[in-house]
Amino acid sequence: MTVAAEPHPWRVPPRWVLLVAVLSIVCAEVGGASMARFKVELTRWARDAMLARPAVHGLVGVRDVDERILDEALVKFDAGLRLFHMHAEGMGLVIIATTMVAATVARAGVARRVIIALLTTGGAGYPVGYLVWSALIPAYGLERAKTIAEWLVWIPFGSATLVALWWLTGLIALRMARP
Amino acid sequence: MTRVRLALLATLLAAPAAAHHVGAYVPKDNAVTINFKQVKFSVQARKFDVALRLFETGALRAEMRAHAATLPAGLEDGTRAALAASDGPEVERRLMIFFAALARDLALEADRRLAEAGGTAESRAATGRKFLEAIWRYYNLVDFAVATRDNKTSVAVRLAFDEAETYVKPATGAAAPADPARLRPPLQRIAQVLSTLIEASPTQARRDS
Repeated sequence: MTVAAEPHPWRVPPRWVLLVAVLSIVCAEVGGASMARFKVELTRWARDAMLARPAVHGLVGVRDVDERILDEALVKFDAGLRLFHMHAEGMGLVIIATTMVAATVARAGVARRVIIALLTTGGAGYPVGYLVWSALIPAYGLERAKTIAEWLVWIPFGSATLVALWWLTGLIALRMARP
Repeated sequence: MTRVRLALLATLLAAPAAAHHVGAYVPKDNAVTINFKQVKFSVQARKFDVALRLFETGALRAEMRAHAATLPAGLEDGTRAALAASDGPEVERRLMIFFAALARDLALEADRRLAEAGGTAESRAATGRKFLEAIWRYYNLVDFAVATRDNKTSVAVRLAFDEAETYVKPATGAAAPADPARLRPPLQRIAQVLSTLIEASPTQARRDS
């Protein structure tokens, strides 16, 4: 019996990449567990911090008006923590899968290293934006906290991942066109 | 030139990075509106004993007591008596008066806040917008009951509300920017129309003659 050799055996990405991906998943799990364990404490802290800054959140001192503002901010605060948990978990797996494809497909050394670096830093950094957003909501309000998280984390790290993914897609398309 | 093209391509490819998911907020009922719905549905199901228990132990009655100074005399006692007498239309009418009073008080408070000097146009518009949301949350619960009894009042409140909303909408595209200074007249109209409705609705126990 003969076994046909695989034309393109998969290559494992560098160890540091795997370490970052696993760390991202570990952070997601720790974050999710902490969110459930300290839900009451976190909500109380966020509520107190918001009540201490009425002008930032547009609180007017009328319960019927303020309760809705506080509720929305607390829902978004909680959503930020949940989205961090989900994204960090998912992006850890995305890093492993995409860097494995990059390590296998990209032949040129520089291109391969750059794609892998972009996928890893972008993938690991992007979910942190949700944590930053959530943490900043009580002090800066919904919109300002979102803007800060966007410019500090989401846009740079998200862009890195997207550019790397499109670059990788282009390389795969090229290889398919030129076998 | 190649660098410019590459930069442009990278920007276009990365553009979706700005479209991240941040969740959606769906406004929830508060304790008063939840209790109102519980009582209303119990009355509609003709379970008056359940409705009476929900009213006596719920946030509606507590809120009626908290706002007793601005509510028509006898509203709470009359609501309880109507529930005990299994009088659905009377329960509905009294709850309509209660929520109309809550909406009117919010309209008066909003008008008072907007009359105060200070703050930017944007912050005043945001305050006005939040008050309008709170007014509508209460008024919306009883608009049908108002319309079936006094259609002109219902139309007047809704028209004033629509007008008020146009003055606090954030500027988008060709739309004019928010103008909180013009918000006061429709708020005053809402308060005045609802006051007339409340005053025209007797709340003292009816006597058989």
